[in-house]
Amino acid sequence: MSEDKCYLQKNNSNSGSANALDRRDFLHGVAAVPVLGLFGYAVHKERAYQRAQTAAKTGTTASPGNLPELNVALIGAGAQGSVLLDAMLKIPNIRFRAVCDIWTDYNLKRAISYLSKYNFQANGYEDYREMLEKEKGLDAVVIATPDFWHSRQTVDCLKAGLHVYCEKEMSNTLEGARRMVLAARETGKLLQIGHQRRSHPRYLHCYEKLLKKANMIGRIVTINGQWNRSVQQDLGWPNRYLIPQERLEKYGFKSMQQFRNWRWCKGLGGGPIVDLGSHQIDIYNWFLDARPKAVLASGGIDYYSKESHEWYDTVMAIYEYETSQGPVRAYYQTQTTNGSQGYFENFMGDQGTLVLSESEAGYRGSIYRQPEAPPWDEWVRLGYVSAPKVQMAKRELEINALLDVRESVSPDEHQIPVEFHDPYHKPHLENFFNAVRGIESLNCPAEVGYETAVSVLKVNEAIEAGKRLYFSEDEFKI
Amino acid sequence: MEEQRYYRVQMIALVFLRVMIGWHFLYEGVAKFLKPHWSAAGYLMQSRGLFAPLFHWMADTPSVLTIVNPMNIWGLMAIGLGLIVGCFTRLASAAGIFLILLYYACNPLLVGYYYSIPMEGNYLIVNKNLVEMAALVVIAVTFNSSYVGMDRILFKLLRKITDGHSFLRVIAGARSSH
Repeated sequence: MSEDKCYLQKNNSNSGSANALDRRDFLHGVAAVPVLGLFGYAVHKERAYQRAQTAAKTGTTASPGNLPELNVALIGAGAQGSVLLDAMLKIPNIRFRAVCDIWTDYNLKRAISYLSKYNFQANGYEDYREMLEKEKGLDAVVIATPDFWHSRQTVDCLKAGLHVYCEKEMSNTLEGARRMVLAARETGKLLQIGHQRRSHPRYLHCYEKLLKKANMIGRIVTINGQWNRSVQQDLGWPNRYLIPQERLEKYGFKSMQQFRNWRWCKGLGGGPIVDLGSHQIDIYNWFLDARPKAVLASGGIDYYSKESHEWYDTVMAIYEYETSQGPVRAYYQTQTTNGSQGYFENFMGDQGTLVLSESEAGYRGSIYRQPEAPPWDEWVRLGYVSAPKVQMAKRELEINALLDVRESVSPDEHQIPVEFHDPYHKPHLENFFNAVRGIESLNCPAEVGYETAVSVLKVNEAIEAGKRLYFSEDEFKI
Repeated sequence: MEEQRYYRVQMIALVFLRVMIGWHFLYEGVAKFLKPHWSAAGYLMQSRGLFAPLFHWMADTPSVLTIVNPMNIWGLMAIGLGLIVGCFTRLASAAGIFLILLYYACNPLLVGYYYSIPMEGNYLIVNKNLVEMAALVVIAVTFNSSYVGMDRILFKLLRKITDGHSFLRVIAGARSSH
């Protein structure tokens, strides 16, 4: 207290009068106020960081307003066609003029009735050729038919002057896929292949920012990915909606069973490696900026009946790439008897690991920094990735045993901040429609789809051959 | 002079401590204010120990939460502002001590009572909250706001108005120098 008095006495003696406010009192009184300015600045910076994180979580995509209306037809209104239809109904300035499906009493009726709820009076057709003859004024068609129809329908539509969005796999044969590319070139019309991850905000974020701009995971050395699904029964059909046998045969199906389960049939589809793997192997090529040099694969009809399933229900493939940064080995598996860990792609570089998935429910997206990699503080600040989760605390809590010295230290885990709440196919369709309007370029033009088809269809060949198959540069060229 | 310089260093240290604690309180309030749908319910629901039934009741009663949540947010911000600028410092310190004791009573760090959200350090009974509370006790019983703080101005103004015996002067933490 004596020190206290000492201070106050000194203070008072300087101020002249104990009760009068002087300049010294005022300056000392407000001396700490500038801290509030510093605080405000720090909060502002923190808010900017939070906003960058929130902005990265796009949640939805939106086209610019006042775009010209496009007249669109849908060919193939089955399961995949319905998924695309749902996505398209969320895109403004699209006018549905026609729907085509050979299952007229079921798929076609359902789609037309569904569209009428959104005030679209679409005309229904069984045969797409009749539709092309009668429907004048169409701008574009969306094709979601079985793979073996893609080539014919796409070529005919392009030649009829329409832009085409065609589901993947662009064809079940490379010859068919090649004809599609050539038709697009000849007609000058747009052909987008439905590898929809190419337009997904999370994948674009990872490719453009994490890989290209920030090079966060360094040199990619290995990849693994999978699409595992639980056991599924063959698709059935209501007996009262049978398609007449004559019509089935006209369109290339032996039976109603084959029509419903064409994905498992040779000559019609390509099996799970093509249906599922194609999406993700396309991402391998895209993110590596390379085409595979070789593939070896093992697969078989291990679980389902060989009478109704001609394609392999279980496939494990290893691709070999030669990139500008060095060789890459990429594993991919698809199996249809156990859905363990769903579907994802896992890119492993010498500085980090990127795990991402189209699924919002599954892995979505995480990136792990190798302990020896340069710090990612800047990328966290820019909102490219979230702040890391604390890994060591978890280890201390959960691992009681002494760690072996050969074990690597757990890398920090960061989340990819992009969430997406729209239908998965919406951004890719939007990209297509905006390309038709001339305001964007296609994210997956025919040539890219073709390269993926070459990469993926070779897996089935490699299984049959029972050995490593090599890709020649010419195979990717048209 | 040696003694005076030494004293000034002490005062600066106390002001520094006061501003640091104020910053922490203010941002705790601001962060909760900016967080959409923030509620104390989660923290209250995890309550353990003697007062757990009371805190669980608070978390389960929406009408209580509608009072507790804004009181917490604005209380934290007011305490933080008071400590930073040194305004009503003793009142702010006392309120801060009360709030921290409340948090501690909600989730006491007694042996066997561990908060389910992982903490960044290792604590036994005493955690950083309690250390902060102890620091606030120091702030409350010293007169650093008479050295640097709005209380220095308030104190003199109030002395003029009240002629030296004001409750407000006591809660501001100003010291009579008659």
